[in-house]
Amino acid sequence: MQMDSKGKLIPVIEGRKICKRFSSKRGEKTVLEDIDLSVSENEFVVLFGPGQCGKTTLMNILSGLDVPTSGTVYCDGEIVQRPAPERGVVFQAMALFPWLTVRGNVAYGLKARGVPRDEWMERSDYFIKLVGLEGFEDAYINRLSGGMKQRVGIARAYCNDPKVLFMDEPFSALDAQTRYMMQDEIARIWETEKKTVVFVTNNIEEAVFLADRIILLTNCPSHVKKEYRIDLPRPRDYTSRDFLLLRDEITKQMDSTL
Amino acid sequence: MMDTKKLKQLAKDSVYGLISVCVFLCIWAFGVRTSDIGIVMPGPGKVIYEFIQSFFVPIGKYTMPGHILWSLYRVLPAYIVGSVLGIVIGIAMGWFRYVNSFLRPLYEMIRPIPPIAWIPISIVWFGIGEGSKWFIIFLAAFVPVVLNSISGAKSVDPLLLKCGEMLGADKKYIFRTIVLPYSVPYIFSGLQVALSASWATVVAAEMIRSSEGVGWIIISSMDTNNVTQSLVGIVGIGIVGFILAVMMRELEGRLCRWTVREN
Repeated sequence: MQMDSKGKLIPVIEGRKICKRFSSKRGEKTVLEDIDLSVSENEFVVLFGPGQCGKTTLMNILSGLDVPTSGTVYCDGEIVQRPAPERGVVFQAMALFPWLTVRGNVAYGLKARGVPRDEWMERSDYFIKLVGLEGFEDAYINRLSGGMKQRVGIARAYCNDPKVLFMDEPFSALDAQTRYMMQDEIARIWETEKKTVVFVTNNIEEAVFLADRIILLTNCPSHVKKEYRIDLPRPRDYTSRDFLLLRDEITKQMDSTL
Repeated sequence: MMDTKKLKQLAKDSVYGLISVCVFLCIWAFGVRTSDIGIVMPGPGKVIYEFIQSFFVPIGKYTMPGHILWSLYRVLPAYIVGSVLGIVIGIAMGWFRYVNSFLRPLYEMIRPIPPIAWIPISIVWFGIGEGSKWFIIFLAAFVPVVLNSISGAKSVDPLLLKCGEMLGADKKYIFRTIVLPYSVPYIFSGLQVALSASWATVVAAEMIRSSEGVGWIIISSMDTNNVTQSLVGIVGIGIVGFILAVMMRELEGRLCRWTVREN
């Protein structure tokens, strides 16, 4: 954790007055409007909002994959302008390298940065095991199921040891059963390997199950409607009374933004 | 691994293929027997017989395998040089904007010219020996390989590029580990087209003046009005072309195992 000169804590990720406008033939469309947010170390923050509200755009801007029209993003006090290894991303579309094996994908970042073989072997082994893909190290991606592919995506992002991990609706392409399983997995992985996580979803159950804090975004143009701190004990139970109450309350809030 | 289901499918496919060949041969035999074409054209039986014969009895200076080896000797070096150069230039054009702006107009002008149009020029440049033949076949291979390599390097998924950057790879590493492998299947389809084109062009190249090669078999049959010999040459070209294409597909399957789905 870093502090500034006055001894104040610097958030790992901070967005100030982020705006994003897209212009097309039909005119300008504002997707994000004046969004301020900050994420502190080892916090699990969920960006939650209705369908097309610009959550992914916001995440892309925070991770450096996209640039804001105005406003600034800071990562550890430094301005974010492009993607970098300290901000790992798990993509909705997975974006794995099909010509590499599971290990090749997981170790890609380490190899790219010239980490010695012993080290990347050891680290990739560890994370492949952590996501439960032991025995599939040498399999090519097209032999894996959807859930397994996304595990590779998660291991790849973790293996690179980023300061922040961004996950953009990583489970939206999975069937309901696999989705529940992956939610459990991600909660477990996060407990084992503490990380700052920014997680995007439009699934309220997923949000309450995983988050330390939920940032509720409104529909386009999107701004922060409300924040919820989720203090339920982990591992969480989808059917507990507190869980359901929170879930209802946030759903009501979201419906009122539509 | 080949399982029984796959094997059965393969057997079925072969049977269908065999049927179409048989039907074709029957129509040929029937046509030759019942019409005036029979006066100038032999039936399939005679052609197949002569084709097998050609492996033992030389046509001109060589037997069929000798002619085939001569033609391969003309095709392969030119094909390999044309392909390698085509891959390098094509990838560079597809990936580096200004290389593309610089070379595209030239390439687009060369592209529609059929390789045989270069015969007179190539004789002026390289004489009537092997050089002019190599040059024409080189062009036949180079043009399609460039085209496919360009589209390979151009169509790299931008998300994968961003992903590479996100994981900390620099430009060189991204080029080597993302752009190149992404282009490989495209390059292979170019290599496949180029191989057929080069093999087809050898006939034209051997028109320049030669006394051997499968192309020569056809050219010389024109001088002697020997239709059977011409057909024997055609069968030889067809079979060798078929074998080359199969070998190429096999090589692709081995080199890009990741694009081959195993169900």
